[in-house]
Amino acid sequence: MTANGWLQIAFFFALLLLAAKPMGLYMARVYERKKTWLDPVLGPIERLLYRVTGVDADSEMKWTEYGAAMLIFSCATLLLTYAIERLQHAIPLWNPQHLAAVEPYLAWNTAASFTTNTNWQSYVPEQTMSYLTQMAGLATHNFWSAATGMALAIAFIRGISQRESKTLGNFWVDLTRGTLWVLLPICIVSALALVSQGAIQNLKPYDTVTLVEPQTVTAPGADGKPVTTTVTTQTIAQGPLASQEAIKELGTNGGGFFNANSAHPFENPTPFSNLLEMLLIFLIPAGLCITLGRMVGSPGHGWAVFAAMSVLWFAGVATCYWAESQPNPLLHGVNQRVAMSGAAQSSGGNMEGKEVRFGVANSALFATVTTDASCGAVNSMHDSFMPLGGMVPLANIMMGEIIFGGVGSGMYGMLILVIVTVFIAGLMVGRTPEYLGKKVQAYEVQLSMLYVLIFPLVILGFTAVSVLAPSFGTSSLSNHGPHGFTQILYAYTSSAGNNGSAFAGLNANTHWYNATLGITMLVGRFLMMIPMLAVAGSLATKKIAPESLGTFPVNNTLFTVLLVGVILIVGALTFFPALSLGPILEHLLLRSGISFA
Amino acid sequence: MSDIVFLAASFAFFFVAVLYVYGCQSLKGGGGNA
Repeated sequence: MTANGWLQIAFFFALLLLAAKPMGLYMARVYERKKTWLDPVLGPIERLLYRVTGVDADSEMKWTEYGAAMLIFSCATLLLTYAIERLQHAIPLWNPQHLAAVEPYLAWNTAASFTTNTNWQSYVPEQTMSYLTQMAGLATHNFWSAATGMALAIAFIRGISQRESKTLGNFWVDLTRGTLWVLLPICIVSALALVSQGAIQNLKPYDTVTLVEPQTVTAPGADGKPVTTTVTTQTIAQGPLASQEAIKELGTNGGGFFNANSAHPFENPTPFSNLLEMLLIFLIPAGLCITLGRMVGSPGHGWAVFAAMSVLWFAGVATCYWAESQPNPLLHGVNQRVAMSGAAQSSGGNMEGKEVRFGVANSALFATVTTDASCGAVNSMHDSFMPLGGMVPLANIMMGEIIFGGVGSGMYGMLILVIVTVFIAGLMVGRTPEYLGKKVQAYEVQLSMLYVLIFPLVILGFTAVSVLAPSFGTSSLSNHGPHGFTQILYAYTSSAGNNGSAFAGLNANTHWYNATLGITMLVGRFLMMIPMLAVAGSLATKKIAPESLGTFPVNNTLFTVLLVGVILIVGALTFFPALSLGPILEHLLLRSGISFA
Repeated sequence: MSDIVFLAASFAFFFVAVLYVYGCQSLKGGGGNA
């Protein structure tokens, strides 16, 4: 670890801290339908959209109606993306590489993935998706799924803040305002900033260039015998990248335009673009803490939640940075030792799978940020991290994607854990738990626990089946032993957490993985959203009791400490046995000189 | 054929999700809330 590395991590957090408050207050104004400086431009567009779609912007929805609208919208957009993927070869638009139709299992997996804000990719984008599919099928979902998550978080906040109300707002209005006022303006500015750094934005066919140094490659021929060829040219993929890159980060979607994701020089050209991308990932989730404080009338509560998230973020990045700063003990020889242990020309540590442009500190920071939030963009390969370094992204997702978390989903996931925390605090002092003056009763706790339990159930269930099935489960692995187990565990965890990052090393483009990972994403998104909405709907109907001496304060350090404790107990301990079989065991064996090919 | 299967699977999932909404709502009756 270096002072320079820590300075960069501290600089990132300082910028986030500066941006959170204005962002949060702006979003509160947007969702409360108060005046903003963008109204003259966006107001007429909003009214036109409502007129065309027949939405009554002033009608309010019960939680069941809000949930049903969200499900109908998600189902329709999932099927639209599936259709675009299946028909891309037949649509004479923006397919200069003449890419074929996407295979049905893969098309469904991808449609489920982008609908659920997961953006898990079982495919190589530049070899599979036409420009039309990237723009109309995938980038649109980046906006819709992000706006849906934000809408649901706002609905939950309304559930806390409203007094004896049967409604939570209007899903269509929240979806529209989140897209128009929050996502689009920031994406336009960010896309231009990325273009200024070297990100591409075009509809050209792929370029073919002559290599400065021709490469000799030996590969098996048709008859299985090795054939040596000299490669003299390289194909350089093109496309409308910058516009998709901005929402990929801001919407915590994470699906790369190219297979190398944010390690590709077109997706993430410079250290500045790297910093911008990380800030975009955390911007809305951090801002929503302030939105929470403003809308419930307790700014201190918003900051207390922000503090809990920050503590967990820092623990993750410190652990990951420390683990990746260690040289791999199995690498022997003078040359490797010099390169791995830090020298004038080397950043030191484990550089395998990392971009030299970013080094260890910015790779560890990016990996932590992208898995704290349910983003899933990567600028380094998590599979190549040291065992404990790779455990950090995995554990971040296992905690439920609430360390800032996905746009919206991080906030409502955290609020469910706040309910559990308040309940436990109530049990400790023997009083009926109250959250900001609202009584937390059996119904809310039952549904909160349903939300908490669905997550490990789907992850551990599918992981168990996969590791026991050599024909369709473990046959996809590139490594055996605990590392292979981690590859499977990570895939289901990433899918259920709607993160989408891959540990890599697992060939997930099989019927089994495409189908089960698709189901896992849908369950991890929608079957968790619904109990959350039910809790919000129930809380909205309740009276707000005046504060008394027995009220548990939710805006101080004690609350933050208790919340962090509950998150660690609920999230980390649920998965500790699985982590023991994966990265922890691999770490211990690595120290004993054992690795797994 | 696969397209029909995936179309049906998608509808089936969202249909179950809608039932789940009403399942969560009906739980309130037995929750013992005042």
